[in-house]
Amino acid sequence: MLSLKIENLAVAFPGLTAPVLAIDHLEIAAGSGVALTGGSGSGKSTLINIIAGLERTRAGHVFWGDQNFADLSEGRRDRWRAANIGLVMQDFHLFPGLSAIDNILLPARLSRVVTADLVKRAHMLFQTVGLKRPEQHVETMSRGEMQRVAIARALLRKPGVIIADEPTASLDLESGEAVGDLLLSVAADAGSTLIVASHDPRLIERLGRRLSLKGGQIVGDTQTGEMAA
Amino acid sequence: MIRFILADLRRLWLGGAVVVLLVALATALGVAVTLQERSLRLGSARAADKFDLIVGAAGSETQLVLSSIFLQAAPLPLIDGSVLTKLSADPRVDWAAPIGFGDSFAGYPIIGTTTKLVAGTTPGFAEGRMFALEGEAVLGATVNLPLGAEIKPMHGTAETGGHTHAGQAYKVTGKLRPTGTPWDRAILVPIQAVWHVHGLGEEHGHEEEHRNGDGHHHAHEGKEHHEDGETHVEGETEEHATPVAEIPAVQPAKPAFALGAASSAHIEEDHHGSIDPDALIVETFGPSTPGLPAILVKPKTIADAYRLRQEYRTGSTLGVFPGEVLTRLYATLGDAKMILSAVAAGSQGLVAAALVLVTVIHVGQRRRQIGALRAFGAPRLSVFTIVWLELFLLVALGIGIGFLIGLAAAQIGAQLFAAKSGVILPVGFTREDLRLALVFLGFAAILAAVPALLAYRQSPATALRA
Repeated sequence: MLSLKIENLAVAFPGLTAPVLAIDHLEIAAGSGVALTGGSGSGKSTLINIIAGLERTRAGHVFWGDQNFADLSEGRRDRWRAANIGLVMQDFHLFPGLSAIDNILLPARLSRVVTADLVKRAHMLFQTVGLKRPEQHVETMSRGEMQRVAIARALLRKPGVIIADEPTASLDLESGEAVGDLLLSVAADAGSTLIVASHDPRLIERLGRRLSLKGGQIVGDTQTGEMAA
Repeated sequence: MIRFILADLRRLWLGGAVVVLLVALATALGVAVTLQERSLRLGSARAADKFDLIVGAAGSETQLVLSSIFLQAAPLPLIDGSVLTKLSADPRVDWAAPIGFGDSFAGYPIIGTTTKLVAGTTPGFAEGRMFALEGEAVLGATVNLPLGAEIKPMHGTAETGGHTHAGQAYKVTGKLRPTGTPWDRAILVPIQAVWHVHGLGEEHGHEEEHRNGDGHHHAHEGKEHHEDGETHVEGETEEHATPVAEIPAVQPAKPAFALGAASSAHIEEDHHGSIDPDALIVETFGPSTPGLPAILVKPKTIADAYRLRQEYRTGSTLGVFPGEVLTRLYATLGDAKMILSAVAAGSQGLVAAALVLVTVIHVGQRRRQIGALRAFGAPRLSVFTIVWLELFLLVALGIGIGFLIGLAAAQIGAQLFAAKSGVILPVGFTREDLRLALVFLGFAAILAAVPALLAYRQSPATALRA
């Protein structure tokens, strides 16, 4: 349950004259759902990387709640992201050779924050996302099931923010829809802020707000329907 | 984390196995060289342990040691028998015993010696008893013959074209406990019997008849022949020149004791004696004792040992401390070891370079995975540890296996060597090897840090984009 405030953000890559992303002012309310749209080169991925703290903010401010990313070192940004942001990627990034439940727990284990409660929560989340066999190795799962595991992993540490990058793009229609439903419902249940970069019109229209990017600028900001709460 | 690493290694088991194999072989090479060299040094030192001082005729020190301790077949010049007489009577000497070689049976060298030497250099009998009669023999521990077996001595060895002494046979009366030295392969008989087989010694006078029968070189005629200008074998003239004139009767037969067909060829035919199997053995050596290739001397004190060696290093005799001669040999061996070690180190360096290459490529291929780990919240240190531990585990496993392979190889080598020479080579790890292992592991730790650092420095966003 964190709000996002971006001020005077500019991201430039060496060798490129125009910045790939320039946002003077953007606020996203805590607990709201936002869709990010835009073609390739629009700056969408860069914005995702910036707000997820995967890339350093060199110019401007990115506040999650009171925390300014620009002030954090790389290590502390990693730690903050691990504790507060649940990431869901297009390619799932599950680790083959490990069971579904071990995949859900892996980041927490690597950060040495696993407790018995967290393991219990992992099993609970596993059921929440509609899966049955926690010991099944992820490489034997269908893509839809993999994305469910990835969502459970993102939710493990009760993040205030869920950032999903094209979560349905690599899934077929049916499982894409199911994954979209799941994302929306878990975010609503937890009251997490949900930011989804997507091309999927059915997913976009179900989020309360739509931000359109083009050439590194926000060119559209519209409230859409059902999830505007 | 361990589970993640194991899962990762399981996934990449083939590459991992190759890495382990490479490291293991490179390590084994170095370890085997070290172990083999050390065991050779220890084993031969142990073989020489009971041999305090050896006195032989002037010549090669190394050959004297190799022949008397390692029973290596080679023709040795003989010392006069009176040296043994003198040494036996010396108050500084605990005991002195002749070592007479030259014959063999079924590939085992037959050594003529005394009961004192047998008692003084071996840990006792496994079965049977010491020889007491001239026709009796005692077996070293690894001689594969039963008690009561008959031994027909062969002059020289079968490979060098020796021939069997007709009509001579020893009966086995005892078998010794193992000493871990080449003497375990020896058949020990009374020196007196060896002399008699070759028609030497004074007791029975066989030699006289034989020489006469052959119609040449009865000692007293020797001089006349010279004056007549008759052609003689080289060896004989030299022998006449030896300073011991009082027992000329036995002089011409000296080379009979030297192993090898070449030296004995000219005397093959002319001096076969025979043993009297039931004669009691006599172990006091009077003035007419025949020539000998070597005498083992047990001095009473260390000071005596040094004095005796000094005394017998002049003129026609050569006193050596086998330990000292071996030390000199090791110095040569050490140079060889250095070259082998350098080769081993070179191969290890190559393997290390190959490993760095492999892992750098590997990390490149895993960029996305590593980036994802970071993105999902794994701390940088965890990522570093994972990559480091994965490689370190592989290399450490390879080093461990390499030490075992090296040990096994050294042991097989030692066994082959023992079967051939009788010298038992004690193969084993010491503190020094532990240090080597630690150095290897330390190196592996540094090596594994290279890809781990690469992973550590990688930005997750860039890695994910790749």
